[in-house]
Amino acid sequence: MMSYPLSYILLLPTLALSVLFAVPSQNTSAIRRIAILGVLLPFLLSLGVFFTYNHSTGGFQFIENIPWVVPFGISYHLGVDGINALLILLLGFVSFAAVLISHHIKERVKEYYILLLLMIIGTYGAFLSLDIFFFYFFHEVATIPAFLLIAIWGSDRHEYAAMKLTLYLTAGATLGLIGLLALYFASGLQTFDFVQLQYYLTVHPIPLNVRNWIFGLVVIGFGVTLTMWPFYTWAPVGYAAAPTAVSMLHAGVLKKLGAYAIIRFAIQLMPQAAHTWMPLIATLAVLNIIYCGLVVLAQRDMKYILGYSSCSHMGYILLGIACLNVIGLNGVVFLMFAHGIMVSLGFALTGFFADQTNTRNLDELSGLAKRMPFIGTCFAMMALASSGVPGFANFPAEIMVLLGAWDHYRWQTVLAVLGVVITAIYMFKAIRLGFHGPLPSRWNQLTDAQTALQKLPYILLLAALIIVGCFPTIILNKIEPASKGVLQYALTTK
Amino acid sequence: MFPVINWNLISLEVLITAILVILVVVDIFLPRESKEDWIGALSFVGLAGLIVFWFTQSNLTGATFGGMFIMDSLAWFFKGFFLLVMVFVFAMTQEFFKALPTRKNEFYLLLWLALIGMCFVASSADFLLLFLSIETLTISLYVMTAYLKSDSHSLEAGMKYLILGALTSGFFLFGLSFIYGATHSTRFEAIQAFVQTHAMSPMILFGLVLVFATVGFKIGSVPFQLWVPDVYQGAPTPVTALLSVGSKAAGFIILIRLFFGIFASWHIHWSVIFAALSAATMCYGNLGAMFQKNIKRLLGYSSIGHAGYLLMGAATGSALGLSAINFYLLGYLFTNLAAFVVIILFFIAQKSDEIEDYAGLVKRSPLLACALLLSLVSLAGIPPLAGFFGKFTLLMATVKAGLIWLAIVAGVNIIVSIYYYLLVAKRVYVDAPRTNSPIPVSLSMRWILGLAMAGIVVIGIFQGPFLDMAMTAAKGMYLFHL
Repeated sequence: MMSYPLSYILLLPTLALSVLFAVPSQNTSAIRRIAILGVLLPFLLSLGVFFTYNHSTGGFQFIENIPWVVPFGISYHLGVDGINALLILLLGFVSFAAVLISHHIKERVKEYYILLLLMIIGTYGAFLSLDIFFFYFFHEVATIPAFLLIAIWGSDRHEYAAMKLTLYLTAGATLGLIGLLALYFASGLQTFDFVQLQYYLTVHPIPLNVRNWIFGLVVIGFGVTLTMWPFYTWAPVGYAAAPTAVSMLHAGVLKKLGAYAIIRFAIQLMPQAAHTWMPLIATLAVLNIIYCGLVVLAQRDMKYILGYSSCSHMGYILLGIACLNVIGLNGVVFLMFAHGIMVSLGFALTGFFADQTNTRNLDELSGLAKRMPFIGTCFAMMALASSGVPGFANFPAEIMVLLGAWDHYRWQTVLAVLGVVITAIYMFKAIRLGFHGPLPSRWNQLTDAQTALQKLPYILLLAALIIVGCFPTIILNKIEPASKGVLQYALTTK
Repeated sequence: MFPVINWNLISLEVLITAILVILVVVDIFLPRESKEDWIGALSFVGLAGLIVFWFTQSNLTGATFGGMFIMDSLAWFFKGFFLLVMVFVFAMTQEFFKALPTRKNEFYLLLWLALIGMCFVASSADFLLLFLSIETLTISLYVMTAYLKSDSHSLEAGMKYLILGALTSGFFLFGLSFIYGATHSTRFEAIQAFVQTHAMSPMILFGLVLVFATVGFKIGSVPFQLWVPDVYQGAPTPVTALLSVGSKAAGFIILIRLFFGIFASWHIHWSVIFAALSAATMCYGNLGAMFQKNIKRLLGYSSIGHAGYLLMGAATGSALGLSAINFYLLGYLFTNLAAFVVIILFFIAQKSDEIEDYAGLVKRSPLLACALLLSLVSLAGIPPLAGFFGKFTLLMATVKAGLIWLAIVAGVNIIVSIYYYLLVAKRVYVDAPRTNSPIPVSLSMRWILGLAMAGIVVIGIFQGPFLDMAMTAAKGMYLFHL
């Protein structure tokens, strides 16, 4: 298992999935145990991979390469550098927590876990693939499970939301795919292998005008996944309707696939074209931050608040990408991790109290902290992290992005800082309205998270936020060589 | 003086004909009221034997009957394809007629006749033989479409199909007379030799357009697509399945022989036309499918959409495009037939093809729901299923040919198609069932569904060997010229 950890990250949940097919659907506790095991093992493996990744040598490690479709140059090529090693770790955290908090699902349990595992496998696969074909392949594997999960187990307007989310994401990905296919043929190398393409393209660059529009297709296509303004509207609706675990996975991890694709396939493969597009990206980033931030202020539904807020925070990721410098990109990758953990914690907490109160509307909620001190504390810490308070992982991430952006995009940076203030306003308002004040008598029966197992997912996510926030070098020293790798040509060719 | 005939090349067709004759004789001697389905059972035995025999023919190439009949990698590939289609269609027929009072023995015989027609289409190297094979296939399809004599929909469908089919046959012969007039031959080889040494002439072009009417009619491409939804809806479901996969593939063989072979050197002239036809066809099919309430009609429109995707391959005019067509059809076989098996089983239990009656199918039969979901998702082209890699190769070929606009049109169509396929999936998986009565699935149908689902998933994940098959079929094609 230790010699091919990345394949096992994909195989173990697949194995759990196949076992689930055989378990009778009445036996819910066995189903849950298998599903938990199916995400715990890859989580542990991804921890192992992350901490044994040797950042002093850098580059791609744990490489596995099997030719798959030879005539097209498609290979099953897995490998991690500092960026995707961190992202699979993020998925490990979030998927484990998401399965743990899924105990509230009582109907059609077997189908639920099968679809959830399929979605998680697809996401792992997309992060691990160093082959453009397999990246797209795995990325799309996650689509249909997400559709069904939202449509079957979702809440208000779930059928509409599921359809909208699926159509937006597939449309974006297809656009991106057409761009990547154009790149495949423009290079003339006949391979989808990312590493080979990258070496080849640095030596034999394709004409700049071709590169420019391919770059545009990839950025806009995968920008939809990243909820780039103005393609973000699917996200809040989708997250609000989705069952908690899907909101966590989608907002926390799947969305980052968009940023990951832009970094890998746009910036790293076509660094020269990046310089043409980046001012536009920076402007869109500010629109994300400010526009979505202002929209949050008008929201009352807690899931919509988190949903729009996550769109708003994607603006920092875009801004960091637009800097095209190492500190900015470090900040981006750091923020992907920090935001992923933070937002999935937020959705998990919201799901926890909404299950009991049957409402997520802040105008109706009040005084929850009296009955739920643990959840209330976690929520407050999540809000602090979200507002970029030092001590939580989001702080160093946002600082790095802003520092990176200052030299290139002055006014955008100023507006981005304003976004932090907006975040603080809505997050603290949510705490005040939801958790403080008098507790209505009809909610006297509410219960807090009691057992250690119930508390585990929240503690786990919070611990990740705080540990990384206090000791950012744990992950920063893995990110740094990877960021330099991504940008080495972007910096030299300016 | 008789030319030497290489019977080995034509042995598969001879065997099929022999089986048909035997079945006719057996049918005469069977008691009229026989409960046992002897013809069905014998058909399966015959098919199994033929499939084994087909494997032994893999390296067979050559021409016989004075060059009218050829055997090449493409013919071999598609004959196997048709045999596989027939496995499904025979199984569907057995199941479909169980619930009906109609006699089914003649239906089996007509299916065998259609198989003969399709195999000859795959091997024709002469326009006259091609015409006869098409007619053999189409006439048996006319009869089968109108087979349910007491069902007015079936009769109406048969009538429509007959009238339009006869019209396009007329076009074919008319067009052929122009081609013959210009080239003085009906033999593919001679025509190709003429085409390669001459510039495009309006006379041949006119003839070619008329001949294409038959191809367009068979594959359901704009502007010959109008019959598709009505006939698909009205025909007995096994016939719909055969029309949507077998007959469509037969149309594509003709298209391949004509435009990747004989007339390939004029590729520059028809590439644009195919690109426009492809875009129009996929838009017509997919937009039409969005508002359908009947599942057979929906699949009818969707099959027009798929013809549009496949025409992208024709527009590229490249070996990659040809391989993509072959691969796509292979995935489409399993995908579409899985859906039709589900439709038949559902119809037997529910006596309805309306999509709203599919509500909550998952509670009534998880197997049927799963098979239908896999099929719909694969039709929509989402990994890890067969339909995805088919669309991927087609898109690759299109982008390679520089037809980026067509690839983007296809992308938009894929999104539209995901919408209506997922609406059906939503009915099946999300909505509450109207009745809770489980739908029984017999053991043989479980096997057939299992085969279809395995095909969808295996082709979708282990694309390599199947792509090799498709490429080999393309490269070894008789008169292949690009």
